Amino acid sequence: MSSSTLHDREWAFIRSLTITGMLPLAGERTVQALYYILRGRKANQTLQDVHLYSLYPYYRMFPRLLKEDWEKIVYKLQEESLLIPMQRAESGRKPSFVLTEKALQIASESEREYNFSYWFEPFTAADIAEQIDLFWLRLHLIVQTVSHLLEGDLSFQPIVQEKRTQRWVKECLADKERRARWTEGLAQELFCSMSPLSESVQEMIFQRFSGVSQSGLTLSQLSLRKREAPAYIHMQIRCGLARMIRTIQDNRAEFPLLSALLKNEGGKDPRLTESASLTYVLAKQGSSIEQIANRRGIKPGTVEDHLVEIALRCPEWDGSRYLSAELAEEIVKISERLGTSRLRLIKDQLGPGVSYLQIRLALARKKGGEEDAKRDA
Amino acid sequence: MQKETLDLRLGDLLKRHFGYSSFRPGQWEIIERILRGENVLGLMATGGGKSVTYQLPALYLPGTAVVVSPLISLMTDQVQQLRGKRKIPAAYINSTMEPAETRERLFEISRGAYKLIYVSPEKLQNSAVQKALVRAGVSMLAIDEAHCISQWGHDFRTDYLRLPQVVQSLGSPPVLAVTATATPGVKAEICDLFDIKQENVITQPLNRENIAIDVILAESEADRRQMVKKSIDELQGPGIVYCSTRQTVELLVAEYQLSGKKSVHGYHGGMSSMERMVVQTQFLRGELDAIIATNAFGMGIDKSDIRFVLHYHFPPSLEAYAQEIGRVGRDGKAGYAGLYYVPEDRLIHTHLQEKEYPTTEQALRFLQGLSQAGTKPISELAMHDIPEEMAALLFFYAELAGIVSDVAAGREEYRYELSDASQMGNLAEKASQMIEAMEKPKWLKRQKLLEMLRWLEGNECYRMRLNRYFGELDHTSSAACCSHCGLDRSAYLDKSGSRTERTGKNAWNLRKALEKLLPNKKGGSIF
Repeated sequence: MSSSTLHDREWAFIRSLTITGMLPLAGERTVQALYYILRGRKANQTLQDVHLYSLYPYYRMFPRLLKEDWEKIVYKLQEESLLIPMQRAESGRKPSFVLTEKALQIASESEREYNFSYWFEPFTAADIAEQIDLFWLRLHLIVQTVSHLLEGDLSFQPIVQEKRTQRWVKECLADKERRARWTEGLAQELFCSMSPLSESVQEMIFQRFSGVSQSGLTLSQLSLRKREAPAYIHMQIRCGLARMIRTIQDNRAEFPLLSALLKNEGGKDPRLTESASLTYVLAKQGSSIEQIANRRGIKPGTVEDHLVEIALRCPEWDGSRYLSAELAEEIVKISERLGTSRLRLIKDQLGPGVSYLQIRLALARKKGGEEDAKRDA
Repeated sequence: MQKETLDLRLGDLLKRHFGYSSFRPGQWEIIERILRGENVLGLMATGGGKSVTYQLPALYLPGTAVVVSPLISLMTDQVQQLRGKRKIPAAYINSTMEPAETRERLFEISRGAYKLIYVSPEKLQNSAVQKALVRAGVSMLAIDEAHCISQWGHDFRTDYLRLPQVVQSLGSPPVLAVTATATPGVKAEICDLFDIKQENVITQPLNRENIAIDVILAESEADRRQMVKKSIDELQGPGIVYCSTRQTVELLVAEYQLSGKKSVHGYHGGMSSMERMVVQTQFLRGELDAIIATNAFGMGIDKSDIRFVLHYHFPPSLEAYAQEIGRVGRDGKAGYAGLYYVPEDRLIHTHLQEKEYPTTEQALRFLQGLSQAGTKPISELAMHDIPEEMAALLFFYAELAGIVSDVAAGREEYRYELSDASQMGNLAEKASQMIEAMEKPKWLKRQKLLEMLRWLEGNECYRMRLNRYFGELDHTSSAACCSHCGLDRSAYLDKSGSRTERTGKNAWNLRKALEKLLPNKKGGSIF
């Protein structure tokens, strides 16, 4: 088998992945919406899309995807008659797109081909993406460091250059006692958290580690060895890490060391963007939007964006000051009746007394609630 | 102190901390002058042992030595090396640090905990930093990559130009300016700025007599690609293949992997930092035969047994060329530098040079996007249709035009003070003022490119002309000289026929794998 087929396979995978992700967005959003989701943009519109269309597995899947590469993908989809951009948009909106019969065919075959529902299973909320990033950086560096500690040689080049992670690892291994715990217990906890994964995924994750006995492999090296598309491997590894995180979260007592990888530093709310978590602190103290905007030196519109983000991700937040339970219910009903989440259409039904913020909060709340229910079930 | 005793003391320090038994050419001359309190300009060839010239005096002199370095990655690498292998207390201060961390470090500095402090030029302007250093007592100030002060001024911050002032605020310690590449003009400028006497300019011979210089004219792109692939297969590795664009790197890697015999990997700025570090580690450990890279690869790479450097595209200046081939054969053994010349490649460079600078429209959009708040997320630039890589350049010229001040680059955003001037004149005018200021460096880069082309097209010894460009007359060679004077390519071929071994494939076993990666030293199973 030659690598040219590897190249073809990469496209076949990307094609299935993007079409599957575009399915719920067709006719509703622009073709760029999925790009922002794959990049993991933190803008509210993107986060809302992720929630509304349950695109959690896609969120931040390729944080380094370049715009030009995305445009190439879209171009190829058009070239293969899978995607057709809509010519005209309804007033005030950017044109969306439709997927062809052929595309729907590919989407329905993709499940058999790539087993998406298995890989996507652990992705039930948008915050998993950030957790994976944090977890992977810390895991990689602590493994490399402990490996060198065990050899008594600490003059090594850390693969993870990120300062915060390096500080975190330093802190973990600050004194003798803590060092002993990590050097003695890490292998065992890794074994327990990785063994539920398929052997193939275990091996992929393991081969990416660096230490005294191995430099670690890059994604393209893994792809060459496994003869699988790099993006497909990347997705499997992400899924493996997500499963490890879930395993550790559900059994914290069994993973005293690895569960530390999940904690966040500095009291910021890990569910929120940094800026939104600062707003949340003030909102909890009962400040108004204007007060928050003034104190933080940001625009009121930005504060509103933060509130929507909070409504989406923090079910414990009491937002009744901005939106009564009755109005929330009415908004949700209208949204369901119209079969849309588009603010303008909903607002047209409600009249001028209702603000866009209220509609956005209501939709976000509804979505956030559904997520919780799913997780509790 | 008697010269003999000084010799002994320094020799002892050199052996104990650096593991060398003798100085390399130029090192002693520089160190001895610094210890006498002179200001010195050291022109050290890449890989010529530049860092020893300030690390050793730092150890010897009382107080703390300050090293100014524009590259954060070099800073962290060196500090790590100093603290690890060399057992020298060193630390750095740069913009990646959190405020609390900086405060703590400054406290340690002021109580004299370090022999060496690496600092970015921008942080050295900070009065708190200066105060801490003065309290510790600055033994000397080393300025790494000193050519940045003139040659590539716009690549870095205005702060380089303010260094002469800083020297005074630090109590006028002896200054050591070091650089690998300086033309006579740049040399004169540095000497002038730091008051360096002619007799204190120490030039390490630039000529690398063990490297053979080969320039191969290729008929076409396809022809060249064939030749490069063949060379990677046949040459004695390890080696580096330089390309000018990421796309070429990816294309060449993909194509080579279809049919090539050796293990290679790509390396460019578009890869994540983890991937880049993994590739670099593999290369340093001898697990790769060749790296196919953009010029992002090489800075700070400490590998002495690199046997060849190939240039798929010619680099945009002779400075870059000298630096890149200089990575070959630092162990003194024979090495090979092959450049595949396709004249049309000049278009790549003119295009890249154009793209590097903003248009007037972009500059205007950039200025309009600045706000009173004084922060600009880098990610936001994309919305003004401005590439993220352009941010540093735009802020630099905006500062030069007096629109912003106190620019500080963070990981995700820029912080700055918006000056009153930004509200006065109209922005369009300011934008074209910025664009105008860019004309000179743009012109300079075009000149460099012309020099490169002249060198490629010239009909005399390549080595002689390369050295002459840097003001050096010596052009002796120990193995072969260059393709003009005649060289035998077969001398650089891989005779063993073996390739870098990959680990054999065993049946997967998680437990065994983990035991190998994280072995239990106390014996017995970790499980």
